[in-house]
Amino acid sequence: MTDAAHRLLWTIVALLLVAGGTVTLAASFGVLPGGDPGAALLSAGFLTRWRLATPWTTLAAAVAGALLALTGHRLLGWELRPPRSAVRGTLSHPGRRPGRTRLRADVLVHALERDLTGGPGVRRAQVVLTGAPPRPDVWIRVDLTADARAAGVRDHVRAAVRRFAATAGCQPAHLDVTARIEPGRP
Amino acid sequence: MRTANRVASLLLAATLLAGGALLAVQALLITLDRPAPLLAPTGWYDTLTSARWRDPGVRAVAGGAVLLGLAVLAAQLRRWTPVRLRVDERDGWYLHRRCVERRLADAASTVPGVRRARVRVRRRGAEWRPRVRATGDPAARAEVEFAVHQELHHLAAPRTGRIEVRLLPREWPV
Repeated sequence: MTDAAHRLLWTIVALLLVAGGTVTLAASFGVLPGGDPGAALLSAGFLTRWRLATPWTTLAAAVAGALLALTGHRLLGWELRPPRSAVRGTLSHPGRRPGRTRLRADVLVHALERDLTGGPGVRRAQVVLTGAPPRPDVWIRVDLTADARAAGVRDHVRAAVRRFAATAGCQPAHLDVTARIEPGRP
Repeated sequence: MRTANRVASLLLAATLLAGGALLAVQALLITLDRPAPLLAPTGWYDTLTSARWRDPGVRAVAGGAVLLGLAVLAAQLRRWTPVRLRVDERDGWYLHRRCVERRLADAASTVPGVRRARVRVRRRGAEWRPRVRATGDPAARAEVEFAVHQELHHLAAPRTGRIEVRLLPREWPV
């Protein structure tokens, strides 16, 4: 999940907490119309009504529990899933002569990562493609060694992206490169 | 805040998964007339039927929920420091902020007599503004500034604004 998704999730949770707490406080001070602050939180006849409606009430509780568990499972999946390339499938180019050139997107990503990692000072590279295949957005993360010269690595990345564009025949619409440099005494 | 959000989301997901599965299993056991100890009306049912809306305990819990909600809301809505520092807008090149700050702190610490350097980098427009805090002789300020400048040059940083250096003299044990 992205940072923005986390922010949205916890903003919704916070709003629910504020709304729930405010309504409970209003009921507790008798501000709510028709509310009785002296009434019990759960009426004594609740258990009788619950038992009278069995098995529908217990089945409804089971369904609610299953939905909660499913929500938790999906959320856990989103949290633990590593980011993946959004562009999948095959890039296809019609040639001048009869025939087409087909390239698998994940092979292109792997090729760009290998090209980037081959540069001096680049320890690891991760590439994600998003957007439409003819002009994809290219997101690159490079981990640099402590002695890497940032200017040299920038030139290397620029050249690798040029080679990628020439090989795949798709010019990146947007290029985003984030570099992380290892700590080390200069 | 980002790490706190991730950890809190993981905890929320695990709680929803475990709690939901437990509720579903217990409710199905009751439907099949099997014993379900967690949903059996024992202590929690007596508490909820005996507690009144005006009880101080209910008000305290509701007030706590409102305060917690407001605190979380304020934490989510305030402006966060970006994790990346933009180097060049034209080729979309960014450096990880924490890495840059650690490198600059390491550079400041190479100056003789300077210890425990901490660096924060703020961006004002296209300019980076490093702020260095360290323990050492205040006379070494120019050397620290030079070392940080050199490291910024090494990182191919864009135009740098004034480097704020604050050196606190070492505290001797009494």
